Amino acid sequence: MRFRANIEHVNTFYKISQAVEKLQKRCIIKFTESEMHIICNNDAGEGGIQVWSQIKVSSLFTDYRIQSNANNEIFLALSAEAMTAALRSAAAPSGQQGAFSADAEVVVRLVKRSDVATLSFEILTTTRMGRGVRIAHDVRIEILKREDVSRLKEPMCPEPEVHILLPPLAKLRTVVERMRPLAADVIGIRANLSGCLQLCAQTDAARVDVSWNGLSNPTMAQDPSTQDPDNSEARDPTTLYGVLVSLKSLQKFLNSHVVSTTTIACICQNHCIIMYVYIGEVAEAGGVLTFYVPAIIE
Amino acid sequence: MSDSDDGEVDKVLIASVHDVKYVMSLLRGVQFGSRATVRATSGGLSVTVEEARTLLATAFIFKDIFDEYSYHPEVVPASQGLSSQPSSQPQEEGEPTAFEVPLNTLIECLSVLGNIGGSTSSSKHRLWHTGNSDQEGEQEEGSSNRANSTRNRGPANGRIDQYFAGDKGTGMRLSYVGAGYPLTLLMAEEASGPTATCEVTTFEAEPMLELDFLESPTVLKIILKSSWLRDALSELDPTCEKLTIIGNPPPPPGRASRASGPPRLRLQAVGTFGSTEMDYPSDKEVLETCECEQQVRFSYLFKHIVRASRALQNSTKTSLRINEEGMLSLQLISPTARPRHDGGNTSGFIEFRCLPLDEDP
Repeated sequence: MRFRANIEHVNTFYKISQAVEKLQKRCIIKFTESEMHIICNNDAGEGGIQVWSQIKVSSLFTDYRIQSNANNEIFLALSAEAMTAALRSAAAPSGQQGAFSADAEVVVRLVKRSDVATLSFEILTTTRMGRGVRIAHDVRIEILKREDVSRLKEPMCPEPEVHILLPPLAKLRTVVERMRPLAADVIGIRANLSGCLQLCAQTDAARVDVSWNGLSNPTMAQDPSTQDPDNSEARDPTTLYGVLVSLKSLQKFLNSHVVSTTTIACICQNHCIIMYVYIGEVAEAGGVLTFYVPAIIE
Repeated sequence: MSDSDDGEVDKVLIASVHDVKYVMSLLRGVQFGSRATVRATSGGLSVTVEEARTLLATAFIFKDIFDEYSYHPEVVPASQGLSSQPSSQPQEEGEPTAFEVPLNTLIECLSVLGNIGGSTSSSKHRLWHTGNSDQEGEQEEGSSNRANSTRNRGPANGRIDQYFAGDKGTGMRLSYVGAGYPLTLLMAEEASGPTATCEVTTFEAEPMLELDFLESPTVLKIILKSSWLRDALSELDPTCEKLTIIGNPPPPPGRASRASGPPRLRLQAVGTFGSTEMDYPSDKEVLETCECEQQVRFSYLFKHIVRASRALQNSTKTSLRINEEGMLSLQLISPTARPRHDGGNTSGFIEFRCLPLDEDP
């Protein structure tokens, strides 16, 4: 089992890692020949939110080499926090705090140190004074066995009623933050096929609806397995479809605002809401983080 | 209230404002206690919070502060059929329409779109210390309007925000159908932004504490800059229990007595760790006016007086009065600095009335 890569876009990786870290302590990473998958499958039961992401190797790494007995795939579990810490010291300095120059060279490789498997991040950079520095972070990992891997299953969802392009997540996050005292831990998300998105909260003291209009409803490639491929045309464009989700889960998802450019939400009425957070522009298809937020059924 | 057109006419209260910041700052000034009583009259709104049946804080939001304000008092149902009664009923100003709202919730609703920071006070704070605040306020306002000549012109509180976040006032429209209905708030930012609809539960108003200041003659009347009082209150140890306000008559003419005589106004606080005294000299710079015939000395619970701190932050001038019974009235003027050509009363104010502690003489 061999793995080695240069991290070319450290900042992107760092932001992804940040978004994941807020969600779950440990995450699973699957490296394949062409993609990196980060999976948070909610084993700790934290609000039921799951992340399944796929990021093209080329949008993060260069000089990528992978080799394993299992179809050249490597499955590992590691602490998201430790990975974020490693990437933090490699990420480009933000503002005054960074002690190093931006052109760090970061190499990540799979290493076995005294029978402990680690993912070793080696960072070569220069200080502001121009002296070379070498930083190494060894993040302890656990190589997953094949039977564990086979148990990982992406959640099954019905065909969503609505696809809608979300407003900038940072803005959404402020509104959700402000709604927190007005919501009894549950927030309703509703959308229709004519570009309207609503967030609703209710307590004994007040009922609040915040709505965005004029958003776009992207046409998604239909899953060929669904029986009625044209049922979205049959839907009334003004009918709102909604789910109730836990405020905490929604806030965890909104932590991904650091990495997001475009986010598409898919609402499966009374089942779940799926958010596709695109990394980089959609056209480039550099990668996507898929968040599954389960609905709270009243 | 059968359909929406009729509903608009039937509503007891409709008020809208293009930037909710000023209204917010007045409401925040009385933000203690869970419920507030809102009274609507044809002249505007008053929002009152009571504490321990001793302290009454009221924010007066006059109708000129709103861009649109309409008030149709509820007609007593009995007078429905008769032709002589309903004509006389709405004309005269009867009992104001009163209802209670959870004030914290109301304020949270008003800030749900997120760009109303509570941080504007720091910028104002600096302004006032330089002295002639009115002039500076106008200058600032003028330049900010030039900087972004967009449609919305925020009131003074938003000046700094305007520089950083562009012109992003939150417009608000408030309506109240009548007893038993929620208070509906509609809010929007710029055209592309979200809109918010909030329905705040209202409650039947409970009989309010009556504190009539003019019941007995006024014995002390002082007008001073709010910052002088605010700074004094913030200096005091928060564990203090009692605050005594002492007013003295002007010293007899003569140079020697002027220097050594008692201060016109003294604040005395007694707490567990000692006592603090603050003297305000008889100087036009400090006390704009001070009317006091003979020594006045009344004590209040410090925790009640300190409730006024937040309101003091957003105000320029304070009128401090005490009547013979010792009731304290603090009136805090908060200027809008919003240009108005029709000369309406655009400055809202907040009034605190507080009963004194009973003391052995």
